[in-house]
Order: sequence, then C-alpha cells, then structure tokens
Amino acid sequence: MTRLHVKAWLLAGIGIILLATGYLFVSLPVRIHAQEAQESQAVQNAMPSEPTGDNSFCLVCHADSDATATLDDGTTLHVGVDPSVLEGSVHGAGNEQGALGCVDCHGTDAFPHDDPLPQSARAYTVQASLMCTNCHVEQTENLADGVHYTAITDGNLNSASCVDCHGSHDIQPPDEPREKISETCGDCHTSVFTEYRDSVHGEALFEGDPNVPTCVDCHGVHGIQHPTTALFRNRSPELCAECHADTELMEEYGISTYVFESYLTDFHGTTVQLFNQTDPNVPTNKAVCYDCHGVHNIAEASADKSRVVRENLLETCRECHPDASADFPDSWVGHFPPSLDNHPLMFLVDLFYDILIPVVVGGFLFLIATDIIRRIRKMFSGRSAE
Amino acid sequence: MAENIQTNATAQSAEPQQSYRRFGPGQRFEHVVLLVTFTGLAVTGLPQTYAEYGWAKALIDLMGGIESIRVIHRILATILMAEAIYHGGILTYKLFVLGRKATMIPGFRDLKDVLQWIAFNLGLRQEHPHLPRYNFGEKAEYLAVIWGTVIMVITGFMMWNPIATTNFLPGSAVPVARVAHGAEALLAVLSIITWHMWNVHIRRFNRAMFTGNLPLDAMEEEHGEELEQILAGHVDEDPPREVIAKRNMYFFPYAFIVGTLLVLGLIFFVTFEDTAITTVDPAVVVEAPDVVEVSAEDGVAETGAEVWASLNCNECHGENAEGGEGRLNVALANTSLTFDEFVAAVRRGPADMKAYSVRDVSDLDLAHLYAWLQSQ
Repeated sequence: MTRLHVKAWLLAGIGIILLATGYLFVSLPVRIHAQEAQESQAVQNAMPSEPTGDNSFCLVCHADSDATATLDDGTTLHVGVDPSVLEGSVHGAGNEQGALGCVDCHGTDAFPHDDPLPQSARAYTVQASLMCTNCHVEQTENLADGVHYTAITDGNLNSASCVDCHGSHDIQPPDEPREKISETCGDCHTSVFTEYRDSVHGEALFEGDPNVPTCVDCHGVHGIQHPTTALFRNRSPELCAECHADTELMEEYGISTYVFESYLTDFHGTTVQLFNQTDPNVPTNKAVCYDCHGVHNIAEASADKSRVVRENLLETCRECHPDASADFPDSWVGHFPPSLDNHPLMFLVDLFYDILIPVVVGGFLFLIATDIIRRIRKMFSGRSAE
Repeated sequence: MAENIQTNATAQSAEPQQSYRRFGPGQRFEHVVLLVTFTGLAVTGLPQTYAEYGWAKALIDLMGGIESIRVIHRILATILMAEAIYHGGILTYKLFVLGRKATMIPGFRDLKDVLQWIAFNLGLRQEHPHLPRYNFGEKAEYLAVIWGTVIMVITGFMMWNPIATTNFLPGSAVPVARVAHGAEALLAVLSIITWHMWNVHIRRFNRAMFTGNLPLDAMEEEHGEELEQILAGHVDEDPPREVIAKRNMYFFPYAFIVGTLLVLGLIFFVTFEDTAITTVDPAVVVEAPDVVEVSAEDGVAETGAEVWASLNCNECHGENAEGGEGRLNVALANTSLTFDEFVAAVRRGPADMKAYSVRDVSDLDLAHLYAWLQSQ
C-alpha cells in the first residue's frame, strides 16, 4: 500500500511537470529574464490537505541527528532532523499556511518503511525536489523551462534542484539579505560569482544597494535560460535597458539613460535590434552591450579597469575588429548625442543636411507650384476662349 | 496638362507628330542601369537609416533581413560605381574625341532661364524662355546625380572600410560618413520624387529615355532653342574620320589605363577589408560543475588549523579541539568519526551547532580541518 502511495506522489509530481512544460511551450513566449524574479514565493495552490504540524511520531526515530541509512552505492543518507531547524524555517511555526509536518512533504510511508531506498544520496536529493512541486506550482512551471531542470532530465544529477539552492529542512527566505541570492548561485558558479562580486553591480550589491541586479535579475530565477544562445544575445540590450533606460532609476546614480537610444542609432545597435525583432534566434556578430562593457566583470565606464575606458578601448574593439587601427575607436560616437563639443563634425554635417534638404526640396516644390499655376491658368483661359 | 495629352492624342491619331532624336541606345541603357541601381539602393538603404520605424522593419523583413539587404545594397553599389566609371569613359570620348560641347555645364543663362520661366508661369511674362538642349531642370538633375554619387561613393567607402579609413582620417570621420550617407540619400530620393517625377512623369510622360525621341510639342516647350537650331539646319557634325582616328590613338590607351586603374580601385574598394570577425566566439559555456569528490587524504593539517580559527570552532570545541566551555563541550581531537560522517555532521549542524553549508566552508576546507583534528 505504502509503495503505491509514494509511486502515486511521484507520478503526480512528474505529471505536473510534464503538463507545466507543455503549457509553457504552447502558451508562453520564451522568457529570458527576471520578470519572475518578483514572482510570489507564496504557495500557489492550496495544501493537498491541512498541514499536519505534529511530528512526534516520526521524531521518535528521526530526531536522532546521527541517524543514517547506507544506500546501494555506498553513500550515506542522513535521515535525522533537528526539529528546531524545521521549526525555525519558512515551513515552521511562522508559516501562514500552518507549520508543515513531515508527512506533508515526505508522504505517509508508514512505519516500518518498506519503500525501496534511493540509488544514491544525490539521487534522493534530486528526487526529493518533487515534493516541492506539490505546492509551489508557479515555480515548478518556470523551472520546467530552465537550464537546471533540463540538465537534470538529461541525466546530469549534479545540476541544481530545489533543495540545492533553498535548503531542505532549514529553508529561509532566499533573498534576505538580497546578496544571499547571488551567493547561492556562487556556491556552484564560483568563478562567475567571483567576477561578479568585483563588478560595479556586485560591489554595490554587497554594500546594500537595493537596485543593482543580482544574478536572477538578468538570468531569471527558476526558468533560467541558457545565456549563450542567439536569443539571449539578441535580447540582451533590452535586458540592460530595463534599468539603464529607466530615467527615474538612473537619476539616483547620475547615469545617462541615452545609452540605449544611442546604441540603437549606431550601426551595432541597429543591426542587433533588427535581429531581435525579426530573427531573434539567428546569431549576429554585431556587438551587444556586454561585448564592450563586459559581462559579469562589468565595471564603471570611467574606471581604470573598465573595458571601455579610453586606454582599454582599442583592445576591446580588437576582440571583434582584429585589424583595428589606433584611431579606430574614435569612430565610436559614444553614448552621447553629437554636439559642438562631442563629435562636432557629425553635428555640423547633420545640421547642414537639415538645412540643405528643405531648401533643395522646397525649391523644387516652389518651381513645380509655379508650373501648376501656369497650367491651371491655361486651362481656364483655354476654356473661356472656346 | 489634360489639354496637352488630348492634343497629343489627336495629333497622333491624325498624323504622327514630328519627333526629334534625343538619346542614343547607350544613354538609354545607362539610364536603365541608373534607374535600377538607384531604386534598389534606396529601397535597401533607407530602411537601414530609419531602422527604428515599423515600415523600415517590414521592408527589411520582406527583403530577407538586415544582413541580406546589406549584401544587396553593396552589389547594387558596385554596379552603380562600375556604371560611373563607364560614364566617365563615354563622357571623355564625346568631349575629347568627338569634340562635342559640354552641354551640362551650368551657367548664368540657366539662372536667367529659371527666373524667366517662373515669371512666365506666374503670368508676368508672355513668352516661355527658349531652352537649350539640356535645360536648367535637366542640368540640375544630372549634376545632382554626379554630386550625390561622389558623396555616396566616398562615404560608402568609409563605412565599408572603416579600419582603412581610420588609417588616413581621424576615427570620428566614420560616423560623419554614416550621417552624410543617410542624409544625402534622403535628399536624392526626395529630389527624384518631386522634381524628376513632376517633370518627366506627371506633367507629361516623357518617353525619350526609353524610345530615344521627343515629340515636337515637348521640344517646343522644353528645348525651344535647340529646336530652332535644328530647324535652322544647324547640326553638330563629328570631326572628319581621320581626325577621330588620330584622337582614338591617344584616347584608347588612356581609356585602357585609367579604366583599368579605376576597375582595380573598385575591386580594392569592395574587397579591401574584413572589418570584423564573422562570428563572435560563443560565450564561455558554464557547465554544471561536478560535485568535487574530496577525500580525507586531500586535507593538510596546517591549513586545517587556520580554518579552525577562521570559523571560530574553538569557541565551542576548544583551541585544540580538546572540548570547550560553551554549551557544546564536544572534544573533536582525534575524532572517531569517518571523514564522510564528519562532513555530514558539519553540514547538518547536530544538536545546537550551526549547520555549515558549502557557502560557509568548502569540502576541501573540511578535509583540511579533518586532517588537523586527526593530528591533535
């Protein structure tokens, strides 16, 4: 009976994930960024049943924190739980839905347990994540679209599952404090995290800045898309623009919001934006924001270590333009509108044509108008003559 | 206007109007090349300048995307430049071998013609000015095409070969070229839509560029002076055959050398530079890291001592892991735990001890700790 029970739970979990995947494919445009970062962490559907806060029965054995089971592959599964840890977690006493009991997640595999043991401790961890999907439906749906889940279904059990990021019995809010988000990613993505921590965004995050992006603001949370696809690349300028074209937000930092618009009017930006809007899945070699500014190591544009500061710009250009001459970087107008101070010749040529075009075309139109007047007059005089 | 068309129709049905030779097959051919390349360049070029607008995006999409229209644009530009070289050769031949007059040079009389024409149109003058073989309107168009082509070729070169350009011009010249190229294109297209359309399509459909001939009434209005000269029996005669033959001896070697140089220049122009790499290196793929298998043997006792201090283990477990005074008076020196059990305990946080995640201490550091504990 109990064996059937666990199977039913598993099947239900897998069913939900499959349905969610199907639903996502037919109904949702591919998301690449962090709308869902703000998604409610609250539970979306009702508890399958009322939480059963009483764990005394299970704790008869499982309160022994040294309790272990040895699995087929020789790994050790720790089956002891400190009840105070669960009590202090988001699922404990403070849970709005009521404190969860063991069986709310683990099911009622009544004693003596006769379910087959998992293959390995790791397999159990991954499998245990299915428990989360019962209540956290929206996160599960997003997850089905993301790289971590895909990697797991492709057989890589090292890919992150729910508990790898959130913990298990000791789950705390994932974003308190905010830098905890990026630290969590950094547990596995160490080198990326190290780069990020020293970037302009990372440094500000650890100084308590509430606006700078954490990992999930660019990559998404559960539905993390692969950041090396053409789609991600083509859409990335809009991703940066979400903050950098926001006048109110940038005002705090004294950063120009003209950066996005000026990028779009430039050769690189025009092309990338066209790809983004017409062939988002086709790769382009034209530069996006992070090709010049850097990705995780992005620095303030005027900083010595910046990839785009004058001293380093040629080297940055040469990554895509290997033959670039010393004067080549000057052909980049910068993110400022041309004026008498910034690229004056460009400003003057623009002004010249702003005058020349109306004068020439206006002149032609004037001549045409006189021709029309003559023809109208001729028509009338011709008629009166008849 | 309607009256004119009627007159034409009547005249044509009764007896065909006398018409006058205006353009030879070569000129008509050049016009078709210009017509096709100009239109194609405008249709593929303007959407690039105005790419932020919906109509431009629709056009670009229709023509196969931005990279494809850039290729089309460059092919058409190459044809137009070849045509310009050919035109230069023909022009030189006509001027210096056949000794024809340079009928396209603008002068004071053209200004006079314009003013008289305006005055006539407004009824301030009774007589339509008698216009020469190429009147002020045609000169304006022809010279605008020359001016425009020169500007477009120069600025086009700078955009096509920005690295070469910055070898002899300051870098800021490249965006200047981009601005000028787009603005000049707009000027050219607007001029064609207004001046050219009105003069040869709307006011009267002038077929001379396709048939080669212009009927009498159009000649009277648009080339009165030339018509008078023709009627007076004045004909531009080519020089005697032997003079032409002698001039050809100079012309053809010259034309061959200059033509070859220009064509080589054109090939240089269109193939000179690989401005950028064709594909961007894919970003470094972050593979899901393998779980690092750390074993007890990886631990170094000395490092473990540092870890012991940095994690403040001593506060509960004692300076030398002999057991401390806190609530957790647990001695760990020479622990009987296996390494796996030790790691599991630290991660789990038994009893009142804090759980240490991989964020707090790595598996390798735990191996160092374990090694140190074993040595105590």
